[in-house]
Amino acid sequence: MAESSEDSGSKINIAVKTPKEKKDIEIGADASVKEFREAISKAFGAPVEQLCLIFAGKILKDEENLKQHGIKDGLTVHLVIKSANRSQEQAAERAQAAPTPSQANVSNTPFNLGSMGGLPGLGGLGMGSSNFMDMQQRMQRELMSNPELLQNMMNNPMVQSLMSNPEVMRQLITSNPQMRELMERNPEITHMLNNPELMRQTMQLTRNPAMMQELMRQQDRAMSNLESIPGGFGALQRMYQEIQEPMLNAAQSMGRGNPFAALSGQSQESSGTQQQGQENTDPLPNPWVPQSPGSTSIGTTGSTTTTTGTTAGNALGSNPVFNTPGMQSLMSQMTQNPQLMQNMLQAPYMQSMLQHLSANPELASQIMSQSPIFAGNPQLQEYTRQQLPIFLQQMQNPEVQNVMTNPRALQAIMQIQQGLQTLQAESPSLLPGMGLAGAVPPPMTIPGSTNSGTTGSSTVTTSTTSTTATTATSGTMPTTSPGAPANTATPSGGLPGQGGADPLGGFMAQMLGMMAQGQGGGADLNTAPEQRYASQLEQLAAMGFINREANIQALIATYGDVNDAIDRLLQQRGN
Amino acid sequence: MASNSYKVPRNFQLLRELEEAEKGCGDGSISWGLLHADDMQLNCWSCLIIGPPGTNFENRVYTLILECGVNYPIEPPSAKFVTKIRMKEVNDQTGVVDLRLLHMQSRSNSSPYSINGVLQEIRNAMTSKENRKLSQPPEGSSF
Repeated sequence: MAESSEDSGSKINIAVKTPKEKKDIEIGADASVKEFREAISKAFGAPVEQLCLIFAGKILKDEENLKQHGIKDGLTVHLVIKSANRSQEQAAERAQAAPTPSQANVSNTPFNLGSMGGLPGLGGLGMGSSNFMDMQQRMQRELMSNPELLQNMMNNPMVQSLMSNPEVMRQLITSNPQMRELMERNPEITHMLNNPELMRQTMQLTRNPAMMQELMRQQDRAMSNLESIPGGFGALQRMYQEIQEPMLNAAQSMGRGNPFAALSGQSQESSGTQQQGQENTDPLPNPWVPQSPGSTSIGTTGSTTTTTGTTAGNALGSNPVFNTPGMQSLMSQMTQNPQLMQNMLQAPYMQSMLQHLSANPELASQIMSQSPIFAGNPQLQEYTRQQLPIFLQQMQNPEVQNVMTNPRALQAIMQIQQGLQTLQAESPSLLPGMGLAGAVPPPMTIPGSTNSGTTGSSTVTTSTTSTTATTATSGTMPTTSPGAPANTATPSGGLPGQGGADPLGGFMAQMLGMMAQGQGGGADLNTAPEQRYASQLEQLAAMGFINREANIQALIATYGDVNDAIDRLLQQRGN
Repeated sequence: MASNSYKVPRNFQLLRELEEAEKGCGDGSISWGLLHADDMQLNCWSCLIIGPPGTNFENRVYTLILECGVNYPIEPPSAKFVTKIRMKEVNDQTGVVDLRLLHMQSRSNSSPYSINGVLQEIRNAMTSKENRKLSQPPEGSSF
């Protein structure tokens, strides 16, 4: 993770855990156990000889080194602090330890709250010293894995008094430079933070672990509650831009998907195993989970799209956000639900995003090269790259947008696409051979007729655009391709300048050739999934996943990606 | 649901458990890892149980070896103490744990075994009425 790469290379961080607390110890990767033990002795304030270190079922001995045991960065070593003289000192130690556990826990939280006791500068909340994102990550991890910790922390009188004082809370928040910047840029958030009642409520909530779990599990519902606060929605929207995006990055680098999906997944898990309290424990549908059908509210889609927009703008195409489950779900929703796409295209941020893209073709082409659709197709990629700027301009053409937002036009395009597929399925050899002379005209004429206002040339562009876009998404490729960017990046069909049918025809020929290839590969949508994913099924069976039905389900859900399917199968089992 | 009707393949489960071991899940009272790092079959696991407080096992570290057969996790692993211990469920001569005597019946039939689960069961057994006050052999001796 980020922290390790920042280190000088040979240093690693090892979590040392006792039943009561957990500390990160930084030590050289090739240190001996003796050195490690000494470092721990310092950190925990216990004599070296009383430390018993356990890693993966073995007791670490002084003469060994960390490498021998395969102790690497981020792994956890258990620590047992033995009492030197069993009978008496044990009691003494326990007596000593008893009054402090909550504090020990508190001082252990990433917030560094322990150091706040009597510390005048609340800026020392760790916010000044450590990287905020890193802290947030750790906090999340820690708190999710240990709800008791949070409770302990919150029940600490010190913390309680602190929380009940809105002034202090505000000071605390404003002392963090990142947070301040955020607030300066977003008056809404400031407003929210300045509302002591709201703050207090939130804090109250966190004191009840069951409630907290519930809250995390239903974070989407909580979000909608937030919306009902005046100005809350604006703040929420911005929060997505400002917070979710970096969080997505962070989460992505942790090998996770959408943080919210992870959150809810985790809390579902925990509610399964250690369900407590009388709160409702039924898992709620999470709009960010990939395969949820097009039932998401517009608000949600809106915010997800916003994320895309800003991410595209700020973090360039290399951003992994496009592969997040959120984007994937958006993507599949889009193909299932033209209505959604319409809404999306009408949204102002979509336009600003397009503007952004067109102002920065470099970015667009980068995004494009990330898309799996293009990965295997250098030719198409090259072509699209050339056409991209023009296409982007096209997209901004209000008339083109008009077509895109006209459900009937979209429907017509869909029909054409389906027609092409049927044609393809019925007589696979026909299309490529025909050179598309026959296949092209329909897409040109139908949208034109539904949209009399548009000029001929731009209609043509749109139709090819959407046709290809839908082909790409509903076709054979895994829909990991970024939602909006795929649309923007794929097509760029005929250009109004060149107007004629020749370049268009050429392009269509290419596209259909591509389609023919893809579908000829046995991945036609019409074939049964058993056939379509025969080889993947075999692989899964060879690995020992014997339930064919579940395998097929998983493969369908992951568009035939074996690795994803395995993840999915294991996850299902784990829940 | 479909997801309940199939078992996670042995190696996937064991790999996951290996990862859990390294990440240090739980409260640290039990720990496990491969006995030999090059055990590609993931058969033999070296495990530690730290005696639960309030019992005669308290503050002792018990080593035991779990062996996961080919039918794991549908069939339980075999467990054998290395550190000498006296427990109702453990053979006094060999250190082999009789898993049938553990409260394994409480688990539902469909849920597969796990190393973590078996170790927890053994540790729970240490706190049982019959076991908690059993006089224990001197520390450090092994079977």
